[in-house]
Amino acid sequence: MTEHAGQTGSHEDMTYEGANLGKSDPVLRTEDLRKTFGGLVATDGVSVEVERGSITGMIGPNGAGKSTLFNLISGFYDLDGGRVWVNDTEVTEKEPHETAQSGLIRTFQTPRRLEGMTVREAMLVGAKGQTGESILPLWLSPSKVTREERANVERAERLLERFEIAHLIDQPSTDLSGGQLKLVELARAFTADPDVMLLDEPVAGVNPTLANDIKRFIRELNEEGQTFLIIEHDMPFIMDLADPVIVLDQGKVLMEGTPDEVRSDQRVIDAYLGGAGP
Amino acid sequence: MSDDTGTGTRTRGRGFVDSLVRSRGERNVLGGVAVVAVGILVLTALGVVRLPFLLSLLSLAGMYVLLTLGLNVQWGYAGLINFSVAAFWGIGAYSAALLSAPNSPLGLGLNPIVGFVAAIVVSAILAVFIGIPTLRLREDYLAIASLGLAEVVRRIILNEEQWTAGSSGISGIPRLLEGLPLTQNATNLAVVVVLIGLVYAFLRRVHRSPWGRVLRTIRSDEDLAKALGKDTYAYKMQAFVLGSIIMAIAGAFYVHVNLYIDPSDLIPLTTFYIWVAVILGGTGSNRGAVLGAATVIAIREGTRFLNDVQAFASLGLNLAPLRLLFVGLLIILVVRLRPEGLLPPRDELIWPGARREEGEE
Repeated sequence: MTEHAGQTGSHEDMTYEGANLGKSDPVLRTEDLRKTFGGLVATDGVSVEVERGSITGMIGPNGAGKSTLFNLISGFYDLDGGRVWVNDTEVTEKEPHETAQSGLIRTFQTPRRLEGMTVREAMLVGAKGQTGESILPLWLSPSKVTREERANVERAERLLERFEIAHLIDQPSTDLSGGQLKLVELARAFTADPDVMLLDEPVAGVNPTLANDIKRFIRELNEEGQTFLIIEHDMPFIMDLADPVIVLDQGKVLMEGTPDEVRSDQRVIDAYLGGAGP
Repeated sequence: MSDDTGTGTRTRGRGFVDSLVRSRGERNVLGGVAVVAVGILVLTALGVVRLPFLLSLLSLAGMYVLLTLGLNVQWGYAGLINFSVAAFWGIGAYSAALLSAPNSPLGLGLNPIVGFVAAIVVSAILAVFIGIPTLRLREDYLAIASLGLAEVVRRIILNEEQWTAGSSGISGIPRLLEGLPLTQNATNLAVVVVLIGLVYAFLRRVHRSPWGRVLRTIRSDEDLAKALGKDTYAYKMQAFVLGSIIMAIAGAFYVHVNLYIDPSDLIPLTTFYIWVAVILGGTGSNRGAVLGAATVIAIREGTRFLNDVQAFASLGLNLAPLRLLFVGLLIILVVRLRPEGLLPPRDELIWPGARREEGEE
């Protein structure tokens, strides 16, 4: 079912195997993504696929280009080369909001605080295609706005209950802890009904109890059909949660495999020990 | 009820007065406003302040309220830094003056309504024109561009004499609604009160709507709004155009009260006062914008008469030139005591009827 892209690394003793391509139903697909910052090649021909319904992990040592890749996929950085598809819709060179509207919602490594908003309000920004987000319908069809808004409020309340943070709903969103913000961000991203969710370090700086909760919630959402692509430095977390796992190193895809395959791969160990450099 | 937010100071959902007043600090502010208002009324009743003067002062304050509401849309809602408040005001003022004054260079003498409509259209076009290159960039670029725009607009009006009468200005601008059985001062005040009412009602609804929520998200974190699929450029453009239109309406109103305008009225000081009013009142708050503007005018105009007070005069102090200093001191005081402004925005802005509790009322 899968075949290797067969890239060969430029480093003498390292074989960059590339990711598994040709998956049966990829929700996110990239082809040969390239990005340089000045002389630094941050992303060097990355082709990956995220299978619908999977939790795909993405690991790699610091500076491997994981966050850069997220920014390229979600349209926050301009590509130097390559193409991106979400659900067979090409989003290459699209604005971030257009990529989001195509069904790809991302979160950020540092949780974003919405000043002057309660958690309830912060949750309500997520829903897609809100009638009340245009000025004219506020006068022409206010009852429709009310209906949608009420449905969105109820959905936000249900999600927060499910994520066990319903008691925070009236809090100013600036008063939350880092971990609580991560939960709100996850819940809000989910209200956008994404086809694929890109989580950038969902448990960075989160206490172990909350990290376990987050893991459980991600797994639950996945069981209901939500697709994830997750960057995470916390190895036990990602190895327990994701399958397959893509390993990035020096802007290239080193390999992709099951957590067990990744864990026992000598190249991955070398990469993490800093042995990959020339 | 899930109204208990744990912020401690809130006393919402208990009654009409409590629904207006949500904290002790706010109670103090509104109490202060009431004292000042009663004081002015008493002084007027005693004949110390003459009624026509009071009415014209209130009209002027009303114009500042409109300007402040306009800037609050841009800076308070969307976080757009606009330093050309005076320019958009001037565009509105000149649009109205040129079309309605019979002896303007255009010589049309049209109905003031046409002038108001032209003010809206021209300011909207100018806002789009300046927004296209700047709103995609970081917020500081709009700040720089708008700083330049203010000067460009003033210079064009000053130098294109064949169109704008240049430094000699435009006079003979018609009064508003002369047929009404009121003094002109009272009519002007009524007009500006209606304008404020319409603008306020409009803003109140958009501010609490999902549209306003997207703007507040942009102000706080534009990348987050983008990541959630919001076309932030389009939203910023809408906020910028809307705010500019409100400023232009204020300008159009002004020329029909002052009956004369020349380019020296477009000085940057107006922009400065409006910024002070927004920050003083509470950035992002419509009520705050109203109070902020009124406060700035009260201080600016009230301090004119300090020299008339015997106590100061006998001390040999000339206080009138110190008026800007008083404005500055007031800002420092507010920033120290109420950093969020006199009447900061509500803790939560949500479409009325969206929450179950409210929906049952």
